[in-house]
Amino acid sequence: MTSTRHILDSEVFHALVRNRVVVILVSTLVIGATLVPGFLEFRTASLGLDRMATLGLVAIGLTVVLIAGQLDLSGGAILALSGIATIGLQSQLGQIPAAIVGLAVGVAAGAVNGFLVVVLRINSLVATLASLLFFRALCHLITESRPISGIDPLFGLIVSRPIGGTFTGRTVLFFAMIVLLHLWLTRAVAGRQLFAVGSNPASAEASGIRSRAYLFGAFVFSGTMAGVAGVIQSLSVNTGSPVFGERIVLVAIAAVVIGGTRLEGGRGSALGTLGGLLTIAALTTAMEYQSVPAYLQDIVTGVILLLLILLDRTVSSSQRRDVTLAALWRRAWASRQLKENERTNAP
Amino acid sequence: MSAPTSQPRVMQQSVFARQGTRLALPISIVLILLVGALLSDKFLTLQNLTNVLINMSIVGIIVVGMTFVFVTRGLADLSVPATVAVGGLLVLGLQSSLGTLGAAVVGVLAAAIAGAVNGWLVGYAGLNPVITTLASGTIVLGIAQVFVGGVIVYGDDPQAQDFLTGRVFGVVPVIVLIFIAVVAMGHLLLSRTVLGRWSYAVGSNPFATQASAVPVRRVRAIAFLLTGTLAGFSGVLLGVTLQTARPGIGMGYEFDAITAVVVGGVSLLGGSGTVLRAIGGLLFVQLLTNIMVLQGVPTEPQGIVKGVLIAGAVAIDVALRRRGGRE
Amino acid sequence: MTETAVLRMTGISKSFPGIRALSTVDFDVEAGEVHAVVGENGAGKSTLMKVLAGVYQPDDGTIELDGVAVRLSDPIEARRRGIGMVYQELNLVPDLTVAENILLGSTPSRFGLVDRRALREQARAVLDELDARIHTDDLVGSLTVSQQQIVEIAKVYAARPRIVVLDEPTSSLSEHETQSLFRIIGRMTEAGLAVIYISHRLREVLDISQRVTVLRDKRLVDTRPTSGISAAEMIRLMVGRDLTEVFPKREVEIGEVALSVTGLSRAGEFNDISLTVRSGEILGLAGLVGAGRTEVARAIFGLDNRDAGLIEIDGTVVNIRGPRDAVRAGIAYVPEDRKRDGIVPQLSIKDNISLAVLDRVSAAGWIRPNAERTLARQKADELTVTPPAITPRVDTLSGGNQQKVVFAKWLAARPRVLILDEPTRGVDVGAKADIHTIIGELAARGTAIVLISSELPEVLAVSDRILVLHDGRISAELPRGASEQEVMHAATGEFVS
Repeated sequence: MTSTRHILDSEVFHALVRNRVVVILVSTLVIGATLVPGFLEFRTASLGLDRMATLGLVAIGLTVVLIAGQLDLSGGAILALSGIATIGLQSQLGQIPAAIVGLAVGVAAGAVNGFLVVVLRINSLVATLASLLFFRALCHLITESRPISGIDPLFGLIVSRPIGGTFTGRTVLFFAMIVLLHLWLTRAVAGRQLFAVGSNPASAEASGIRSRAYLFGAFVFSGTMAGVAGVIQSLSVNTGSPVFGERIVLVAIAAVVIGGTRLEGGRGSALGTLGGLLTIAALTTAMEYQSVPAYLQDIVTGVILLLLILLDRTVSSSQRRDVTLAALWRRAWASRQLKENERTNAP
Repeated sequence: MSAPTSQPRVMQQSVFARQGTRLALPISIVLILLVGALLSDKFLTLQNLTNVLINMSIVGIIVVGMTFVFVTRGLADLSVPATVAVGGLLVLGLQSSLGTLGAAVVGVLAAAIAGAVNGWLVGYAGLNPVITTLASGTIVLGIAQVFVGGVIVYGDDPQAQDFLTGRVFGVVPVIVLIFIAVVAMGHLLLSRTVLGRWSYAVGSNPFATQASAVPVRRVRAIAFLLTGTLAGFSGVLLGVTLQTARPGIGMGYEFDAITAVVVGGVSLLGGSGTVLRAIGGLLFVQLLTNIMVLQGVPTEPQGIVKGVLIAGAVAIDVALRRRGGRE
Repeated sequence: MTETAVLRMTGISKSFPGIRALSTVDFDVEAGEVHAVVGENGAGKSTLMKVLAGVYQPDDGTIELDGVAVRLSDPIEARRRGIGMVYQELNLVPDLTVAENILLGSTPSRFGLVDRRALREQARAVLDELDARIHTDDLVGSLTVSQQQIVEIAKVYAARPRIVVLDEPTSSLSEHETQSLFRIIGRMTEAGLAVIYISHRLREVLDISQRVTVLRDKRLVDTRPTSGISAAEMIRLMVGRDLTEVFPKREVEIGEVALSVTGLSRAGEFNDISLTVRSGEILGLAGLVGAGRTEVARAIFGLDNRDAGLIEIDGTVVNIRGPRDAVRAGIAYVPEDRKRDGIVPQLSIKDNISLAVLDRVSAAGWIRPNAERTLARQKADELTVTPPAITPRVDTLSGGNQQKVVFAKWLAARPRVLILDEPTRGVDVGAKADIHTIIGELAARGTAIVLISSELPEVLAVSDRILVLHDGRISAELPRGASEQEVMHAATGEFVS
C-alpha cells in the first residue's frame, strides 16, 4: 500500500498529472498515427480541426465558467436556439442581420443564466439545468420540432470553406478565440482576478473584486460562445434544428477536464482546453476512420472523463512543489546556471 | 453581572415559512383541480384522471429514486435516460432467449449495476455527482447500444403487454398499481427505516452524521443504486408496454423527475422532503400538462413551463432557507 | 500610554444571546509597538479582534484611531481605516503568483493588461521592505505554510495599514520559521506600524512584544510592559479566578482499566500518546489550543487516522478504522464543535438522540417508533432537556440544550468509555451544572471518562487525574489536588516557578 502512496506522492507523478494534457495529447496522436494512414497529413488535420471548431467554441465558454467555479449545462440548447434564430429570420431580415440576432440570442441566454445564479442565487447546476430545459423547449416550440432550412446554402460556405487552401473560416475563428482567451487569462487583470473569484469568492470580495459581476459575466460569455457556435453551425449546414448540440456539453466538459481545468474552480487554462480539444479531435478522427459508431465514441469520451476526475481526486490533496511547465522550465534553467557557476568557480 | 438567561431560540419567521411550504403543495393541487374542472368538463372524469395516472406511472417510479438522491444531498442523477434505456432495450432484446420475465430481471440487474457504479464513484470516491452521472450515463447508454446493435428493438409478447396495460376490476390499470406499490415502498423506506433516517441525517449534516457512527458513504451510494435500479425497472415496464424500444427511449425522464421533486418542495440542499411530496409535485405537473393538452396547447410550451417551474421552485426554496437563518 | 496611541479601545463590551463575550475591555496600541494579547481559550481574545476587524459591532465602548472616534461598520471599512488582519486561515489564491496575491485588487495595469514589470517590482519592494526571501513569480499553492503566511502578511502590508493584527501566527511554524516571522515583524515596527500579536506561546510573547495585555473571563486583567513581567506572572494573571462555578465531586469507586492507549501518533499533530482510564475514573486532558487534545480524541474514536498506536478496551485490542468500530467497541465521543460534528439541525430531538443507536430501536431495518420514542424521552428527561417535548427540531434549542441532546445521543449508546471534548463550552450556568451532575452519575455507574477542557477550574474539580498535553506530547501527569499553576506550567512548557 505504501508503495502506491509513494508513487502517488512523487513529484514525477504530480508533474505528469498537472501537465497531463501534453501526455494525453501526445499519446492520442501516436495512437491516431498508428491506426489511421495519412493521419498526420495536413488535409486530415484540417478536416479534423474544422469538425472540432464548433465544439471548441463551446469549450472556450465553459472554460471561463469552470474557472469561476460554476457549471453551465445549457450550452447545447443555446447553440440550437441561436442557430434556429439565425436561419429562421433569414427571409425576414436578410442573412447577416439574422446571424447577428442569433448571436444576440446567445448573449441574452447567457444573461438569463447569470440572473438565475447571481441574482436569484440558485445553484448553477440546477439553474442551468432549468434553463437548458427552457431553451430546448423554446427550440421545439418555434420549429414545431422540425428542422428549418435557410434560403441560401452557399452563404454558409463563408465559415466552412478552407481559406486559401488551409483552414476553414471557423477553424480560424476558433484559434483566434483560444489565443485571445489565453492572453486574457494570463495577461489581463480581469482574467487573473477570475481565478481569485473561482478559488475563494469571499476573499476576492474582501480584496475589492466584485465577484458577482465576474460570475454574471462568465455566464454571459459562455452563452455568447454557445451562440456563436450555433450561428456558425447552422449557417454551415443551412439548417436550424431543435436537436442540435445535444451531446456537445458532455464532450466539451471532457475536453476542458482533459486540459487540466478543475471542476471546483480556481484553476484552468486556455492552452489546456486547446490540448483537450485536439485530443478529442484526434480521437474522433481515428474512431471515425475505424468506423466506430457514435455511441461507442461516447463511451470512450465518458470513460476518459471519469478516469480523469478520479485521478484529480486522488492527487489533489498532496501537492507541494510547483510542477507547471513554466516552473519546471525555470528550475531546469536555474540548475543549469548553477552548474555553469560551479564550473567557472572550480579551481 | 451574570449572563442573560438563555431561552429556546424558536425562530418565529421560519415557523411560518415551514408551515407555508407544507401547505403550499396540497393547496396548489386542489387549486389546479378546480381550475381544470372549470376549464374543461372532460377534466374531472374518471377516464381522464386515470389517463393522468397512467402517464405518471413511469416517471413516478423514477421520482422515488430521485427523492433519495435529493435527500442525501446527491444533487441529481443524470444517468436516468441511460438506465431507463437499458431496461427497455434488454427486456425486449433478450425476450426471445429468456422470456419476458427473465429478460426483465436481467434488464433491472444491468441498471442496478450501473447505479452501483454511480454510487461507488459519488459516494466512495467523492466525485461530483453531476459530471459523474452525466459521463456514466453516456457510457451505459453506449454499452446498451452495443448490445442491441444501435437499432430499434421490437418485442413479441402481446400477453405481457396486455397484462401491464390491462385493468384490475376493470378500473385500475395494472401499471398504476405497480406505480403505487413502488411509491408506497419508497415512502416507507425513507420515512420508517434506519436507512431512511440515515439518509436525512447525511443530507442535513454529513459531519455530525459521520461522527454519530453512521456509514455516510454507504448511504450516499445507496441513493444512486436505488435510482438506477428504479429507472431500469421503469424502462422495463415501458418496453413491455410499448413492445418497442430505442436507445433514446429514456430521454427527458431525468428532467421530469427532477422537476417533480423540486416542485414537490424537496430541497436540493438535502435533509428534508418526502417521497409523497415528490409524487405530489409530479401530480401537480401532470395535472397542469393535462389541462394544457385538453385546452389544445401544443407540447412545446409545456417544456417551457417545466423549466420555469424548476427555477421558480428552487428560488423559493433558497429564499425560505435564507430567512430561516440557514446557509 | 498617552496621546501617541494609534488605536485606543475603551470600555468595549459585546454580548450574544445568552452569552457574554466581552466585558468593558480597554486596549491601546502605539505606533512602532508590538503589543501582545494573551489569555486562555474563551478569554475573549478573538472577540476583541473581531470587533477591531469590523466583523462585530461592540454593544458599548468607543474605538479611536489617532484620537478620533470611529465606527468600524464592516471589515471593508476597517481595512480602509488601516487595520490589517492576518488570520490563521489564509486568504490566498493558490493558482496565482506571489506577486499577484500580494497586489490582488490593486494590480498595476496598462489598458486592462497586467503590467508585469510593475507588478513584480511593487511586490518585490513590499517583500524587500519585509526582508522576505520569496520569489515573486512562484505560485502560492506551491509554497510552504510559513512562506504562504509571509505572503499573506505582505498582502496586508501592501495596503499600507497603520495596525497589523497577527492571530496565532506561529502555530504551524518551526523555530527557524518563527525567527523569520519575527524579523518581518521587526521591519514592520521599524516602519512605524503598530502590531497586535495574539498568541498562547508565552516565550514568544516575551521575545517579541513591548507590552502584554492579559484577558481572562472576557475581561481585561492588566496591561503591563513586557520587560516588567515574567512567564509565571503572566500565567498567574491568566488563570487566577473566583471558583464560584465549580461543582462538588462525588466519590466514586474506581475499578479496572477500561481504556488503554499506547504510543498513539500522527505526524504533525501528536506523538507517542499513552494513557489509561479506569471504570469510574475521570481523566482530565488539559492543555492550550493546538496542544493536540482534540486530535488525540478524534484519533481514538476513529474520526481521523493515526500513524501508529494501540487501543485496548477492557484489555482486548480493538482495531478502530472508523467511528462505527469505536462505537462497537464501546467508545463514545462528544465532539468539540457541536454545530458541525454534534447535531443534525433539521432532525428532531428524538431523531438526534437515537441516531447512533438506531439498530437498538429497530428490527430488520425497520424503526420501531414506540421503542424509539421511549428511549428518546427517557434520555431527554435524564438530561433535563428543555423543552421537554422530543419533536421540535434541534436547531430551535439553545446551545446548552443542544449539548444535552448530543450527550443524550451518546448516553443512549451505553458506552464503556466516554470522551468529552469541551462539554460545557458555550453553555449557560444552569446547563453546565446539569452536565457536571451527569458526568458524576456516569462515573458512579462505572463509565470511564476522558474530559477535555480548557477551563481549568472544571478540569481540576472534576478529574481524578490530569494529563497535560503540550505541543502534541504529554508533558505532565498530575494528581487530583494539583494547582492551576502547575497545570498551566505544563501546558505552556514553562517550568519556571
